[in-house]
Amino acid sequence: MIMGKPTALGRVVATERRPNTPHEFHFWTSLDSPVGIGTIVRVEGRDAVNGVVPRVFGIVTEGFSWTDLASPMHDVMGHDGNPADDPPFQTTRSEIRLYTAAVLRHIPEEPLQPVPMGTVYLADETDVAVALRMDGYLKEGSRTGIPIGVYRAGGTDSVIYLDADFLLGPEAAHMNISGVSGLATKTSAVEWLLQSIFAHAPAQKGSVAAVCFNVKGPDLCFLDQPGEIDEADRRLYEQCGVAPEPFQNAQYYAPYKSDGVSLNTLRSNEQLLENVSPLTWGLREVLQYAEVLLNKDDVDAKADALIDFIKENVLDKRFADPMLERSHTVVSFADLDAWFKDVLRSLERKDDQSWRTHHVATIRKVRNRLSNISLRCKGLVADDGAASDLPFGSFEDRTVYVIDVAGLEEDAQDLVFARVVTKLREHLEKHDLGVQQVVVFVDELNKYAPGDGTETYVRKMLLDIAERGRYLGLVLFGAQQFRSQVHRRVVGNSGTAVYGRMDGDELATPGYSVLSPAIKTKLATLEKGQLMVRHPHFTQPIFVRFPRPAIMRGRDGVRQYPQAQSPSLHAAVLRTLRVLDASLTLGWLQDVTALATDDEILRARNDVVRTRPGDVRRAFAANFRATVAPRSASRSESVTPLPAVPADDPYGF
Amino acid sequence: MSAESLRRELAALLPGARATSGDATLELMSSAIDPPRLIGAGVVEDPAMMAHRINGAPTGGFRAFLDGTQRSRTVSYVGNVPIVHGVVSAVARERRGRRLHTWSVPLVEERIYAPRSLLGNAAWDALCTRFRDTLVDCTEQDDSAAHPYAMRDAAYHKVQADREVLEQRLAERWCSLENDALFVDGSISGSDTVAKSACAVGVVKSHRTIYAAARDLSVVLGLRAGERTSVFRVTSQKRTTVASWYLRMRDPAEHDPMWGLVRAEIAYADERLAERLAERANEVSRWILAETSPLALPDGRWDTMVYGIRDCEEYLRALA
Repeated sequence: MIMGKPTALGRVVATERRPNTPHEFHFWTSLDSPVGIGTIVRVEGRDAVNGVVPRVFGIVTEGFSWTDLASPMHDVMGHDGNPADDPPFQTTRSEIRLYTAAVLRHIPEEPLQPVPMGTVYLADETDVAVALRMDGYLKEGSRTGIPIGVYRAGGTDSVIYLDADFLLGPEAAHMNISGVSGLATKTSAVEWLLQSIFAHAPAQKGSVAAVCFNVKGPDLCFLDQPGEIDEADRRLYEQCGVAPEPFQNAQYYAPYKSDGVSLNTLRSNEQLLENVSPLTWGLREVLQYAEVLLNKDDVDAKADALIDFIKENVLDKRFADPMLERSHTVVSFADLDAWFKDVLRSLERKDDQSWRTHHVATIRKVRNRLSNISLRCKGLVADDGAASDLPFGSFEDRTVYVIDVAGLEEDAQDLVFARVVTKLREHLEKHDLGVQQVVVFVDELNKYAPGDGTETYVRKMLLDIAERGRYLGLVLFGAQQFRSQVHRRVVGNSGTAVYGRMDGDELATPGYSVLSPAIKTKLATLEKGQLMVRHPHFTQPIFVRFPRPAIMRGRDGVRQYPQAQSPSLHAAVLRTLRVLDASLTLGWLQDVTALATDDEILRARNDVVRTRPGDVRRAFAANFRATVAPRSASRSESVTPLPAVPADDPYGF
Repeated sequence: MSAESLRRELAALLPGARATSGDATLELMSSAIDPPRLIGAGVVEDPAMMAHRINGAPTGGFRAFLDGTQRSRTVSYVGNVPIVHGVVSAVARERRGRRLHTWSVPLVEERIYAPRSLLGNAAWDALCTRFRDTLVDCTEQDDSAAHPYAMRDAAYHKVQADREVLEQRLAERWCSLENDALFVDGSISGSDTVAKSACAVGVVKSHRTIYAAARDLSVVLGLRAGERTSVFRVTSQKRTTVASWYLRMRDPAEHDPMWGLVRAEIAYADERLAERLAERANEVSRWILAETSPLALPDGRWDTMVYGIRDCEEYLRALA
C-alpha cells in the first residue's frame, strides 16, 4: 500500500462456464498474494449502476491453481518420465491462482446484480466491519458488539464482534459449538466468550450470569484461578478489550460423595473450598422432577397418579388415614419409606388389593422406583430432606455458577440439569432470579438432546430453552463433538454457531453440504485457537482466532491443587464448617459430637451449611444433646469401717 | 470490434452486403501456402555445409521473447467480393525471475481489407468514410484476381504483412532500448535495424524453404539432437542479409526429418569474421537449446517452439 492507496490484489473474472452470480464470484491473483481460504476481499466495480459504482464484499471459499499444461502427460514428457530429473528451466511455466468467493454484502444492496468485473482488494478493518454488517451494531451510543475473536489475513487484524441482541436475545439467542474432543477448543472458546460477554455485555441489557455444568473431568473446576498465556494471547485479549484474568466471581456447587462426607468434585483441595458449596436436595426437590428419573415404560398413568397423590397429599404435610397404624409427616426419603411400609402393611392386614383407588401392585412399584432414587443419586439426594441449593433469587451479576456433576451417575446428572434449568426458567419468568440473563453452558449436548432416540425430559427441556429461552433471558451455550447427532431444533435455534477443528466423518454429513470442500478442509485442520463462526449478521462463516483463556486449565489445576484425601467424618465436617468460621477446631468438634451418630453429625453440618448462621458454633452445637461436662471422681478421705461380723454368725466363714 | 458488430455495421453501410456466418479464420482456410523450395546458401563457416556438435551445457541467454499473431475472417460479401476483418498483434515477453512479463506495451491493430478495384467506387467510398485509415486495399494485379479464393488470399497476405510490420516495430524498439538478447519468432531479415542488431536472434520453425543445396540437404536433415549446421548467409533482394544455421533441438528418432529442426538467424557482419560468427552460433545455439524446457505443449509445434514463444501467443490470444 502506498500512502493510503490500497494495492490491488486481483481481478474479477467470469466465463460462460464459470459465471459470477449475485452470491458468488471468481477472481485471480498474483502467485504471491496473501489470499487464502477465509480471506475477506472487496471488489470495486468498474461501471456505475444508478450513479453508484458498486462495491461487493466477499469471503474466499475455494481456490484453484493450474498451469497451461493440457495434460499431466506433458509434464511427464518434459521430465523424461523421471520425477527426480529437475531440468534447469529458464522459464517457469505459467500458473494461475483463481479463487471463488461467496458474497458477504453488496453496496448498494439494490438492485441485487451479479458481481461486476472489477478490481479486488484485501479488506481492511473498516471493510470487514461493513462486510459483516457489524457497522450496524458498533455505532457509538447503541453498541451491542461482543468480541469473539480476531480475523487475520494479509496484514489485516480486525476484531470480530457478535451482536449481543442476537447472542443473548431477544432477537435471536443461543450459541452452539462443535469440534473434536481433546483440543481444548470447545471449553476454551466458551470460557473466552463468557469472559467477553462479562466484559462487553451492553449496559442496557442489564445483569448477566452464567451457569456451567461440568459434566466431565476438571475442565471447569478452576475458572477463578489464573492460567498461563503467552504474549500473542495477551495481545488478542488487549485487541478485544478483555482483561486477561480469570473469572472474578465464581461459585462452585457439587454433591457429596455416596458416603455423604466429602464433596464429589475434583475441586476438593482445601485451598479452594471457600467458594465451593454442597449441592443436596431433599425429597421435595426430587419428587418435583421424578419423571426425569423414572422410566416412562415403568411409570404408567396409574403410577403417575400415585406420585401426584403423594406430592399433593403426603409430602410436607401431616398425613393421617384410619387404615394406617399412625400418622406420618413425610419430609425425607426415610419418612416416605416408612409411609409406604405402613400403607402396604395395612393392606396386607386387611387383605385388600387397593387403597384409595391405588392398586397394591402400583404402590409397590412406585415405592420401589422412588426408593431407588435415593440410592441412584446418593450424595445428591439427602435422606433427611435437607436441601442445599443454588442461590435462586440472589444470583449476582457477572458471576459464574459451576455445578460439578462429573462424578454423578447419568440419571443424577439429568436430575440436576432438569431441576436447575427449570428453576432458572421459573425465576426468570418471575423476574426474581437476581440477574436478567443467564447463560447456561451444557457440554455433550449430543447426549442430552440427541437427534434420535426416545423423548426424554431433559431433551424436551432443552428444546424448550432453545425455542423460547430468548424471550426470558435464558441462553443456551451448547457444545458437542458431533453436531449432526444433536436434535436439529436445538442446533437450528442457535443463532450463533461456532466450529473448532472438525472430524472428517462429521463434515461428510448432510448438515455441512453448504460448505465448500476448501472450507471443510480448513475446518478439518484448524489450529487450536481458531474458530469458524456463523452469526445472523454474517452471510457467510468467518474464521477467527481467539486467545487461550487466562484461566487455569483443568489438568494444571488438578496438578497444582490435588484432590483432598478422603477425610474422616470429623475432618470433613470441620473442613466444611471452617469455610464459615475459621476458628473452629477439631477438638471442639469432637467434644460437641461426642455422643452423636454419624447421621446426626451430617444432618447438623447440612443444616449449618444451608442456613449459614452468624454463630456457627452455637448453631452447630444446638443440633446435639447437651452433654454433662466430664468430672473426675474423688475418693472420700475417711472410709466408714464395715460393721464387725458377730462371732456366732451362722453364715460366717 | 467484434465480428458480429462489424457485420451489422457493414449491413447498414452497404445495403447490398451479405453477412457471412461462422467464425472460421482465413488462417485456417487460406490456400496461400508457399511451395517447398531449396535455395543454396553461401556457407561462411566451413568450405562446405557440415554438422557441428554444440559443446557445453545449454545456458540461458535470452532476456525476452517476441512473437505476433494474426486473426482474419471474412465478415461480409459485397457481390462476390469479400470484406475481411483482420486483427494483428505483437508482444515481447520479458523474463524476470524465471517468469515472463510483458515488456513495454503490446501492439494490437485491426483493419478492414477489401480489393478496391473489384468493389466498386460507391462501396469503397462508403467503407473509406467509415473506416478511414484502417481500410486496406488488397487489390492484386493478376488475371485471376477476381477468383474469390484469390481475393481471400490477397487479404490474408496483407494481414500477414501487417503482422510482420508490428513484430518488426516492436523488435526495433527492443533493439534501440535494450542490449540483452531477444528471441524473435521467425526471421529477423525483414527489418534492417533488427537484422543488424547484435541482440536479436530470429528462430524460424517452418521450412517450406530450406537453405541448402540438394547435396547439403542430407547434412541438414541428418542433424542429431544438439547439432547445428555450418553458418551460412541468407540473402534476399528485399531483405537484409543475415547469418543463419540449422539446429536440431530434439532427437528426431521415430519422427519426420524436420522434427525439432529450427533455423537460427543473427546479424551478419562480415565474411571475414566467420570465426566469430561460428562462436556466436555456438553460443546462441546453447541459448536456444536451454529453452527446450519447459515443453511448449499442448501446442502441436512444441518440437520447435520454445515456451517463451508459446507464452507470447497465449498472451496475445487473451489480448486480441
